[in-house]
Amino acid sequence: MKRPIMWRLLTVLFALGLVAAACGNDDDAPAAPSVDDSSPATAEAADDSAAPAPEPEPTEAPPEDVTLRVLVHQNPPMVEFMESFNDSFEAANPHISIDMSVVEAGDLSISTQTRLSASDVDVIDIFGFANAAQPYMSDVTPPNWQTLIEAGLLMDLTGQPFVDLYDAPTIADAGSFNGRVYAINLGRVSYSGMFLNLDLFEATGVDVPTTWSELVAACDAFVAAGNSCMTAGGGDGWPIFVGAYGLLGAMYPDQAALVEGLWTGDITWDDEHSVEMFRRMQIYATEMLEDGVTGLSHDAAPSRFAAGDVAMMPTGVWQAPALDAAGVEFDWTYIPFPGSDNPEDNQYLFGKYDQGWAIAADTPHPEAALAYLAAFSEPSNYEAFANAVGFIPTQPTAALNTKLGAEVAPYLANYRVGFEQYWVQPTGAGQWANGSQAAAWFDPFNEWTDPVALAEQAQSDLQAGLDASS
Amino acid sequence: MQFTKRNYLFARGWKSAAPIILLLPGFILYLVIAVGPSMATAVYSFTDATGIRGIAINWVGFENYDEFLFRGAASRDNIAALTRTLYFCFFVTTIQFVLGLLLAVLLNSKLKGTTFFRTLFFMPVILGVAIQGLIWKLFLLPRGGPAAELFSLFGTTSEFLGGQPKQAFAWVIVVQIWSNVGITMVIFLAGMQTIPDYLYEAAKIDGANGWQLFRNVTWPLLTPAANTNFLLNIIGSLQAWQLFLVLIGYRPGTQVLGYLVFAEGFGQTSGSVMTAFRQGYAAAASIALFMLVLLIALSANFIVSRREKKYML
Repeated sequence: MKRPIMWRLLTVLFALGLVAAACGNDDDAPAAPSVDDSSPATAEAADDSAAPAPEPEPTEAPPEDVTLRVLVHQNPPMVEFMESFNDSFEAANPHISIDMSVVEAGDLSISTQTRLSASDVDVIDIFGFANAAQPYMSDVTPPNWQTLIEAGLLMDLTGQPFVDLYDAPTIADAGSFNGRVYAINLGRVSYSGMFLNLDLFEATGVDVPTTWSELVAACDAFVAAGNSCMTAGGGDGWPIFVGAYGLLGAMYPDQAALVEGLWTGDITWDDEHSVEMFRRMQIYATEMLEDGVTGLSHDAAPSRFAAGDVAMMPTGVWQAPALDAAGVEFDWTYIPFPGSDNPEDNQYLFGKYDQGWAIAADTPHPEAALAYLAAFSEPSNYEAFANAVGFIPTQPTAALNTKLGAEVAPYLANYRVGFEQYWVQPTGAGQWANGSQAAAWFDPFNEWTDPVALAEQAQSDLQAGLDASS
Repeated sequence: MQFTKRNYLFARGWKSAAPIILLLPGFILYLVIAVGPSMATAVYSFTDATGIRGIAINWVGFENYDEFLFRGAASRDNIAALTRTLYFCFFVTTIQFVLGLLLAVLLNSKLKGTTFFRTLFFMPVILGVAIQGLIWKLFLLPRGGPAAELFSLFGTTSEFLGGQPKQAFAWVIVVQIWSNVGITMVIFLAGMQTIPDYLYEAAKIDGANGWQLFRNVTWPLLTPAANTNFLLNIIGSLQAWQLFLVLIGYRPGTQVLGYLVFAEGFGQTSGSVMTAFRQGYAAAASIALFMLVLLIALSANFIVSRREKKYML
């Protein structure tokens, strides 16, 4: 009886081994259908693709069915627009179907890296290129987008006709590296302003503040009237310090110079000017923001503001569609955060280049991917997109035909890229070195109650990194 | 039946290789999914790997370890995260162990509704970390959340997870215990149900009271279960990081070593800023965590083994 049992066991094992062997090697599997299999998707091919894709010969066989894998980050109005756009793109290109994945913004870099490395994506959503190492920096790790390009994972889009539809400075600043274009950026956003409930201002008899002192007085008036001065999505942490980026910008209007000054030692976090900024950040965090924002998520903040008893919400312009969705019934506007007592310093809107598109260099469907970006970039599509998501357009022909567009129009001439996009932390710097985030370190969000002590700690942590890098 | 060599299934000749052949697939699987990655992590810790395909990997020797332990103020933060990990381990292990034992004792008695409460206390274990985090984030909302309402009855308020780092850290300990105490309880319950009733009856005849029954019968015979729980709690709490991610995110003053490894390996996010992936450095931090787990687990194992010999021989 033992022998048959043994044979059966070994037979089962052998069969399992065969199954595993069959599953383990797909080198011989047929290639996925592509629009044009004669266009191998390699980095070299990406270089070749710099020229516009040739028009297919009329006599060619009908194109094979293609599934284009698109990765985007979660942003409800953008996802809603993309679903609609994908439907119309599929209708216009029956042989192409879109498989769009949506991930949380915080997971985008991880998903991008893993899916690019696994050749599992064709078109990716990528934030505007920023945080590049500058000549005055030493021993810093290159930003993620640069590493992806150097690894040959992003297709070179230089020369594609749709690139010319975007304004040249945007392409140069937010989508290029070493003179080649790797991404088209779809819009700028400002994160340094704040939404104002104008009806509440009027009801309380408060004028729109243009200086820091007026802002402090306005907050006192709102609180005295039984309302709240400001709200923000403190439960997610970052909206607190992003809400204070306007304060940072008002104190240091040249943000690139601030980063350089901090690296070279010309500016320190504990000098008199910076300490004053830390003091104001503390007032913003502990006195201006209403109680309970430590548990309020960023997505829930517009609903809280829409309730009508909060006067201001410092945040990015991307929250405008969410305000509409929350059913705001009062008149509102968006102004730069008046962080300085000099009104001239409060005229700037700081921000960043937001979402963009890039193509995986080894996509098996380069023509379909390029066609997708070309269709998206058509001026009518692009303008609809910018209006849906509230981006400040990067195509010169597009206009923001929304209330937000009208509100921010007076400040667009004073739009500047913000500190967050320039800052690179020295290797070895401590956790308090990035003083731009200090607003989120004061009580009740963290342990600090003394702005002078925090300023000294921030400088000490920064200096430790600078010393270690030198 | 008398066992002789001939009775063994795989006794002689080529048959003696059968156990090895049968074990081989599992062993290979273990090598591939457990040992291999662990060894690769150790190797990676001496490189500047980014984890991105196409980027050259350079050998950097002990540079990652040097940076992690000695370089600038960041090393101070790393040591603080390491210390915080030990605090987390101590509080979670101690409280979860005692609470699990207490619940097991209560639910092993002949009270009504024990099955319902066993299910109730075990239920959090089957929930994913994201769900556990969501439940507690809603419960701990400072503005109108159930816990805030409860606190207001006593005339006090709290910022809970979004407040002071020490307070937020304490709440993560609470959630970690809540989510895992069910396992501890079940292991203790299983241990208690292997203790023969006659031992209790004999002790009662000798006049033992409830405490003496527990002290002299239950506790010594629970030694294997207690040891298992002790080690599982230690290792689990030293490696915990997902709840920190879900409940409080990357905030100064709250990171534990496991979260640090994740944040360095896959890029911390701050608004839309994505820092570089430093998987070589993260591997070095991971090895530091591994050494910590190994050291503590071996020490704990030495202690519990001695205790097991004392009671079980």
